[in-house]
Amino acid sequence: MRAPILVPIRAAVRPIAYRAIVPLVSIAAALAVSAVIIVIVGASPLEAYGAMLRGAVGGIGSLATTAVRATPLLLTGLAVALSFRAGIFNIGAEGQLYAGAALSAAVALLPLDLPAIVHVPLTLAAGFLGGALWALVPGWLRAYRGVSEVVTTLMLNFVGIQLVAYLVDPIDGPMGERGASYAQSQVIAESAELPILIRGTSLHAGLLIGLGLAVGLFVLIKYTPLGFRLRMLGGNPVAARFAGLSEKREILVVMLLSGGIAGLAGAAEVMGLRHRLYDRFSPGYGYDGIAVALLAGSNPLAVILSATFFGGLRAGANAMQQSTGIETSVVLIIQALTILFVILGPLRGWARARAARSSESVEASASAV
Amino acid sequence: MPFDPAFIVDWGSASLRLAAPLVLAAIGGVYAERSGVFNIGIEGMMLIGAFTAVAVSYYLAGVDIAIAAALAAITAMLAGGATALVHAYLSITRGVDQIISGAAINILALGLTNTLYRAVWGEVGRERVAGFPEVRIPVLADIPIVGPILFDQSVVVFAAFVLPIVAAFVLFRTTWGLNIRAAGDFPAAVDTAGLSVEKTRYAAVLFSGLMAGLAGAALALGAVRYFTPGMTAGRGFIVLGAIVFGRWNPMLAAVACLLFGAADAFQLRAQALDLGLPYQFFVMLPYLLAVLAIAGAIGRTRAPQQLGIPYRREAT
Repeated sequence: MRAPILVPIRAAVRPIAYRAIVPLVSIAAALAVSAVIIVIVGASPLEAYGAMLRGAVGGIGSLATTAVRATPLLLTGLAVALSFRAGIFNIGAEGQLYAGAALSAAVALLPLDLPAIVHVPLTLAAGFLGGALWALVPGWLRAYRGVSEVVTTLMLNFVGIQLVAYLVDPIDGPMGERGASYAQSQVIAESAELPILIRGTSLHAGLLIGLGLAVGLFVLIKYTPLGFRLRMLGGNPVAARFAGLSEKREILVVMLLSGGIAGLAGAAEVMGLRHRLYDRFSPGYGYDGIAVALLAGSNPLAVILSATFFGGLRAGANAMQQSTGIETSVVLIIQALTILFVILGPLRGWARARAARSSESVEASASAV
Repeated sequence: MPFDPAFIVDWGSASLRLAAPLVLAAIGGVYAERSGVFNIGIEGMMLIGAFTAVAVSYYLAGVDIAIAAALAAITAMLAGGATALVHAYLSITRGVDQIISGAAINILALGLTNTLYRAVWGEVGRERVAGFPEVRIPVLADIPIVGPILFDQSVVVFAAFVLPIVAAFVLFRTTWGLNIRAAGDFPAAVDTAGLSVEKTRYAAVLFSGLMAGLAGAALALGAVRYFTPGMTAGRGFIVLGAIVFGRWNPMLAAVACLLFGAADAFQLRAQALDLGLPYQFFVMLPYLLAVLAIAGAIGRTRAPQQLGIPYRREAT
């Protein structure tokens, strides 16, 4: 039975399988507990989850919606995961997303008459820059002044939301469409739009940016000197200091990268989906990014899967609300419980031990979070 | 017009009303952080407290207002405390990262209250309920300007005057307080003294949950008297800023909260004043102030040494 050729494959698959146990069991447990809440609210969990499943994966349209919802989560999830790997708590992805959206919209609105091949990268760069700028102050404070980034990044979320609210204010906002019934900007230049991937759906190229970044970050973290220093920072800051790492610069670089990626999430929403800058356009994608990163164990490739899952939840939630009348915020409950079960999991130690035993190369940083 | 007496009375009294919930939550937060546990779940615990208080007051319609208010406050505290126990279990017993645990609790609180809000009030939406009683202290309230600001207020505001002083006394002048501070600065000493670091931290985190629950009740029943989804709007996070700014001292943290309350109250009035700045900038004010406060406070102050670090006997 044991074909020798299978042995190396099995050895490679096994640790991955063990690592997948905790997230999967956590999701199942979260869905089970949320079912109780759905019953309390007075609906049938089977009906609710059925509607959710149809809304998330029932047909091309639903799948596209899931992918569209997963796109910003993928990007904010990567932003948060990167910071977690370096032992930094960037929980300001929401504000960075707004800042990125604002700056990218500013560039996308310019009547430059540029070809898309120039305008699109320029607009994306603006989005990255906006997010990075938003992370600059907390990053600098953390790196050079020893100020915890937790509260500062959180506070700037609220500032970012208000900044966009001001920019698109229909009365006096510099980017606001005058007289519009909702606070929004003008429609962006067509040359700054991200292309649609599947005709008839709203699936846009932002997804490809996210997927590319996931692979890029995986390589960066695992195979580059910067990635090594970054993991060292997250795994063992004392050793990192002994190794002579300029901790400060690394912290600032990670914060800027993390903020920039969250900014791209905002840019992709503006350029690919909404084609305007709207007041309060994000239903908390930045905060969702924390859940996405955690479920993925801060592994950039696993972030793809967990963003898809949470994107599916979001896509399914609307369908669920339409057919059962349950608030879409049930999704938040499922999300929070999933995190709680992941971090609580008595399974976690066991699975990690098994994964470590079955793979020869123990990745010390798997426990970064 | 700014700076005329009527404006000052209105602004001053609103500042205190808006600061009071922050003060209550900050007292609890100081205790938790002093014991070594960071509680960013205060935001969610406040939200759960606010929801519980309004729901209890709603179902007690017709009951004597003082009794309804007391029951609402107590259940809100219990709800906040129960939520805090989840945080305590995860962060103290299981040694989970405290930021993550707190963040998860905030998301859970938002999801739960949004979902239950629909279940309780249905499509009707928000409905005003009986709030906390207002108290007017006879003679003192007649003093011009200061009187109506300080002495004609919700009971919550009076609690926010007194409790920081009590909390500071307990923290700095009693054995309990010493144990809590030691658990955060040098837990091994608490351990060596034959006391339990775990129990001390549990007590402090539980206390912060009770206070956050009360703060939520104060927020919802002290002024607006209804619940809206996500109504805490980051106030629990601002409290965290006030704690740092107040150098982990309940009284100084209360002063910082008053500052944030004043900024919040000003923001609400700035729209009507037409000061030449878009109102969104005034909405940002408390949050920006918190960032500046934290940035400025560092260097002059020192966080509890073991803040955020689970205590493991073997490790020390």
